[in-house]
Amino acid sequence: METPKISRRGLLGASPVVAVSAKAASAQTPEAAAPALPDAPVRRRVVLKVNGESRELDLDTRTTLLDALREHLHLAGTKKGCDQGQCGACTVHLDGERVLSCLTLAAQAEGREVVTIEGLARGGKLHPMQQAFIDNDAFQCGYCTPGQIMSAVACVQEGHARTDHEIREYMSGNLCRCAAYPNIVAAINQAKSQMGRA
Amino acid sequence: MLQPTPPVPQPLENMGQAIPRYEATAKVTGQPLYAADEPIARPLYAFFKTSGVARGTIASLDVRKAEAMPGVMKVYTHRNAPPRKAVKHIMTGGYMSDTNIPLADNRVRHDGDIVAMVVADSYEIARDAANRIEVRYAAQAPAATFGSPGAVKKVPEQAQKNAKKAGDFAAGWSRAPVKVDARYSTPTQHHNPIELYATTAVWNGDQLTFYEPSQFVYSTANGLAEQIGVDPAKVHLVNPYVGGGFGGKGILTQRTALVALAARDLGRPVKLVLHRKQAYGLTTYRAETRQRVRLGADRNGKLVAFAHDGEEVTSRADDYMVGGVENTVEMYACPNIATSVTLVKADRNTPGFMRSPPETPYMFGLESAMDELAVALNMDPVELRRINDTQKSPISGAPYTSRSLMQCYDQAAAAFGWSRRNPRPLSMSQGDWLIGWGCATATYPTNMMASTARIRLTADGKAVVEVAAHDMGQGAYTAMQQIAAKRLGLDPRQVTVRMGDSALPPGPVAGGSMTTASAGSAVHTAAGKIAARFGGAMPAPNDLDDAFRRLGVTQIEEYAEWWPPGQGPQAVRALYKGSMGGGGGEEGEQQEGNAGGGKPMMAAFGAEFVEVRIHRLTREIRVPRMTGAFAAGHIVNPRTARSQYLGGMIWGMASALLEATEVDAKRARYVNDNIAEYLVAVNADVPQVDVILVPEVDTKVNPLGVKGIGELANVGTAAAIANAVYHATGKRIRDLPITMDKLLV
Ligand code: FES
Ligand code: FES
Repeated sequence: METPKISRRGLLGASPVVAVSAKAASAQTPEAAAPALPDAPVRRRVVLKVNGESRELDLDTRTTLLDALREHLHLAGTKKGCDQGQCGACTVHLDGERVLSCLTLAAQAEGREVVTIEGLARGGKLHPMQQAFIDNDAFQCGYCTPGQIMSAVACVQEGHARTDHEIREYMSGNLCRCAAYPNIVAAINQAKSQMGRA
Repeated sequence: MLQPTPPVPQPLENMGQAIPRYEATAKVTGQPLYAADEPIARPLYAFFKTSGVARGTIASLDVRKAEAMPGVMKVYTHRNAPPRKAVKHIMTGGYMSDTNIPLADNRVRHDGDIVAMVVADSYEIARDAANRIEVRYAAQAPAATFGSPGAVKKVPEQAQKNAKKAGDFAAGWSRAPVKVDARYSTPTQHHNPIELYATTAVWNGDQLTFYEPSQFVYSTANGLAEQIGVDPAKVHLVNPYVGGGFGGKGILTQRTALVALAARDLGRPVKLVLHRKQAYGLTTYRAETRQRVRLGADRNGKLVAFAHDGEEVTSRADDYMVGGVENTVEMYACPNIATSVTLVKADRNTPGFMRSPPETPYMFGLESAMDELAVALNMDPVELRRINDTQKSPISGAPYTSRSLMQCYDQAAAAFGWSRRNPRPLSMSQGDWLIGWGCATATYPTNMMASTARIRLTADGKAVVEVAAHDMGQGAYTAMQQIAAKRLGLDPRQVTVRMGDSALPPGPVAGGSMTTASAGSAVHTAAGKIAARFGGAMPAPNDLDDAFRRLGVTQIEEYAEWWPPGQGPQAVRALYKGSMGGGGGEEGEQQEGNAGGGKPMMAAFGAEFVEVRIHRLTREIRVPRMTGAFAAGHIVNPRTARSQYLGGMIWGMASALLEATEVDAKRARYVNDNIAEYLVAVNADVPQVDVILVPEVDTKVNPLGVKGIGELANVGTAAAIANAVYHATGKRIRDLPITMDKLLV
């Protein structure tokens, strides 16, 4: 590796120093941190309400809701399948609506209700959609499944599950490479009446 | 018409119970820990900078901006990357999927080659810093694919060894009164499992634990140990759940060693999740093929000559061979047969195994040609298969242990309503939609590999089964649970299964559709050893407590080793080293073909029927329904088996109509390297899919009588669709995928 020139940047290039400065920056307010180090991440205190619980985090402002859940809150049930809005594996509910958490900054979720797959079952009882996925073998590897289930619940609540055709259309943002699609449609058909009754 | 099977089919003859998946509740509640889900204290995050050209050298590399970023721990380039040992390719007795070692020198060998790795204390910073690395290349014109200047043809020794031959093809061909001589092509395809490729490395003193999706934990762990020069006993791979593999996670890639060595260098755990885009260059893919099929028949439709010649793209570094012509020539009775395979070496990453690696492209060629022959003969395509059906190898004369191809055709044809088909192209339509019906054969060889297993039974009637096999969605946990429960006389719910961990007794690669046959046979053997402790017959669960007391023990543990017929204990020794060399896998198929000489033929079969609808004006193609019937010996669980077939047929449909990685012919770069532009099937693409499980009993394949099914149903679908497209439009599309533009010209 090249020897860094002696400059502010060069000095910062020595990693132990960097690690400390990142931490130091994080303790400051973003307004104070930003001008001091142009390339330094801007950090911000973010309070997220996830599955009914408030959690306070100190985050790089670029942190997505997906990475906040997975890397900072260790709620790994929400999956990363592309990190660019193409697969639906990261689907969560934000104030009851389905969103792609990889395209949502954590800071945008502040003050809103986040529900993830871990928060769907209540009091040890599976949500009817979860049970329907089991009953209809609506997954194989299971990796897309949290996103499929969160999407499916929202799909029914939106009123977009009236026909098979409609279910297929409104579930097409959630890719399943194992291709459990027909079973997913069957599961949604099973759960939708039970959800109505619930 | 038969009723389509519901998601939970009733077991028929020679089928086990359709119980829900072992891990079903965990999977619907977000509990399973896939590789990148493992909670790790204070990990560092790695991010690769990948090359913007496919061939050349790095002229300058400026990492200062990246290094200056607060939070960046280290930037690895070819100037400071830790050395790694050269380890051989999987097909030449090593462990690697690609032997090109990134960051070993300043050369770039393919699109998306690694040119730097940033390690930082957050994912955001690592990614940002990687983007600030400035690279200038001295680029050279790369060879992209077939026909590119600089691409080199090569006939590997293995292809010559494997070449299959019967009678005298030239003589048979010259005499044949009815002939088809056609060229087909299949595109590059990437696995694109929804779980990204990831690696997390954690050192504890000189012990390494790592987490990455793996279809063969023993191979991955042993290969990594060799690459980084560490005692394999000190390398532990943990991966209980794989988020889809399809072959892409079978073989060790070069990323793992870089992550492991950075973690050692920096004294902290390092976590890497490849970006979706990066997986195109840093893992394997299905190689594109070009094929020539010559089928000659007499006027009654009997085949008299069959030659299948293939060309396949591979990298400069490795001679990966798809090699499916050895399988297609076993399909039908024919006295005069010839095959050949030629590799075309280009500036690409090395291709590799992808779901039914040989059969998917080559059965498309054969089954399209069979349909063309049926047209030439003016014969029903199902009848053409019947006339040429065989119960023995046309090459060696060895009998199939069982082959229910025509039962599959008959059941699927009845369910589909095939008898109502008007064979004339352009004869069926509804409104603005042209309707076409087509069919094709599916097949997959029954591969097996050595396996071990350990079972512990306690007096309370609970059992724990341990085998380092893998569940990537096939239903392997459930199969092991059911096989153990049956032999031990237990309710399956009393059986715990542990898999996907290199600290467990070794199991086979989750490839070649051989997990149930291989690991299942080992589990069955271990359970048999436990039964032997009770004199051969297991006591009823309620009597277990007494029986244990009589034996004076509170638990019984048995370990078993199993290997397929024709192999020996050396296969288990090879397995402990994570080698496929003991026989099995896609390699094994080729070795088998080689052995010939009366060795029994073992394969599962199926028949697939599809309806396509093509818009008269726009040529939009829809597939409203597909019907598949499959026979594969004993079915352990009809629920998970049906799901495998269902997913397989949808894979086949997508490979016919949607999937292709576009390779820039000038720059040898992958153009659509994401899952919005690389089209996989979505829910709206998927029609009614009917799956028929055809009962079959095979007492010869293995003690369980099971054949592999995971790679059966996606074979043949593409040809069935191409044949249906011909029926709808009168146009024969021989180059996949079949898209609107090809039907408009
Ligand atoms: S990870 Fe968010 S859409 Fe794929
Ligand atoms: S279950 Fe594997 S991707 Fe959907």
